[in-house]
Amino acid sequence: MSEALSHRDRCAIAGIGATEFSKDSGRSELTLAAQACRAALQDAGLTVADVDGVVSCDYDLVSYGAIADALGIADLTYWGQTGPGGSGPCAMVGQAVAAILSGQATTVLVYRALNGRSGRRYGLGAPDPDARVGGRGAYEEFFAPYGLVTPGQFFALLAQRHMSTYGTRYEALAEIALACREAANRNPAAQMHERALTLEQCLAARPISLPLRLFDFCLETDGACAVVVTSAERAADCAQPPVLVRAVAQSTGPRVQPGVMYPMLMRPDITVTPSQTVARTLFSRAGLGPSEVDVAQIYDCFTITVLLQLEDYGFCAKGEGGAFTESGALRPGGALPINTAGGNLSEGYVHGMNHVLEGVRQIRGTSTSQVTGAEVSLVTSAPPPGTSALLLVRG
Amino acid sequence: MSGMFNDVAVLPLMPVEDDHDTGGFFAAARRGELALRFCSECGQLLHLPRQVCFACGGARSEWRAVPGRGRVHAWTTVTHQVHPAFPTPYTVVLVDLEEIDARLVGSLPGEAELEVGQPVRVRFDRAPDGTTVPNWEVEA
Ligand SMILES: [Zn+2]
Repeated sequence: MSEALSHRDRCAIAGIGATEFSKDSGRSELTLAAQACRAALQDAGLTVADVDGVVSCDYDLVSYGAIADALGIADLTYWGQTGPGGSGPCAMVGQAVAAILSGQATTVLVYRALNGRSGRRYGLGAPDPDARVGGRGAYEEFFAPYGLVTPGQFFALLAQRHMSTYGTRYEALAEIALACREAANRNPAAQMHERALTLEQCLAARPISLPLRLFDFCLETDGACAVVVTSAERAADCAQPPVLVRAVAQSTGPRVQPGVMYPMLMRPDITVTPSQTVARTLFSRAGLGPSEVDVAQIYDCFTITVLLQLEDYGFCAKGEGGAFTESGALRPGGALPINTAGGNLSEGYVHGMNHVLEGVRQIRGTSTSQVTGAEVSLVTSAPPPGTSALLLVRG
Repeated sequence: MSGMFNDVAVLPLMPVEDDHDTGGFFAAARRGELALRFCSECGQLLHLPRQVCFACGGARSEWRAVPGRGRVHAWTTVTHQVHPAFPTPYTVVLVDLEEIDARLVGSLPGEAELEVGQPVRVRFDRAPDGTTVPNWEVEA
């Protein structure tokens, strides 16, 4: 890789902002997005006048025009969008980096806003019973007619296969839910801050799509998160200690398959996600390896999603995610503390944008579950179909 | 190879049948055939189906009948109902086809007792209007 074209350490996340996380925000996604963006600018010590770029998620209802107008941006010179959905956030930061390093923008707001509980609920996002399913590149005609209509059912198939192939125990999935909940119990901003969770509750929980049960599923949240991305030089003059983007990466891996999510079930090994190939690119670009990661925010739409990524990022071998998890590695003081604000499972489901904010807090030293002396902070976004990831370091 | 039809009062969700890339799968199902798409120029299996070939770059492809037998790859029993057309419990199954490197999906009633590698065979669920979806049942 040419050093001249490398983005290593050349951009920074200068500010982070979020709304409260709730079941009913009582306001529009546009209001949530604008409030998170203003909070991120204030955190950075910047103003709307500094902003010339925005990047959003393809699932977001708030368009670049809407956010520019709501904030009063004088002239937006760059806007971008990526996804789908939860696979987006790290790639969204990557687009901001690309815009800045190519001279198309100087200061970029990256945001995600959703009324995920009071508005459109993704877990109910199944096809209209009266319309035919599939066609035009959707490929749902190979899945939906069989009742495979939600992400939870999709990930349940991956979990079942992992359990039967590697002997993974349900207790390993429960441990992921418990690690996230423990962090949320220390984070006053988390939706599940005051709600304790025990292994017994996990094991006895209502089955949803076996082997997955209630606490294997993320929350549904109304809320928004935003970050300000700018050059490392500009960030050095901002209000917060700069958190550098050491590396960012996207990857589909081979034979990604068409459609959004279900077609991944056609890949040879459904227990391997595109996180395996994104990890190679990410660590190579960063000049770092998994053993140098101090803390990680691992995308957790479901518990099994975390377990598969732990293997694919190389924190343990394929098939050993269960044993690694059950060793206590994910807890404070463990080999790899994860989701230290509570994650999608217990902080709030802001589609993984909340993971970027917590990754920044760990480098700043301001997490409510701070890993002492954290210097390398990993953030991942959802697999599949492709995925993206981010390594943050101190400026 | 012609398979067994199972006439049903209603298919919970009907597939689009006239898509350029995938329509042949459902046209074959109406004939009681399980068919996959192959490149006419280099023979590459193109599954999920699309006309163009990633292996040779060709744009001529054809539907070929394949054996309607497979083995269970993975499954989930759905117990929480989210879609009105699919009363719970039911079991979604992934099936690896015999003799060819392709996977398809099926649906079994209730909490099916399954094992990885268990043999299954194709069955064609046919709605009153003729729309047909290949499905799978455990070998007797
Ligand atoms: Zn070919």
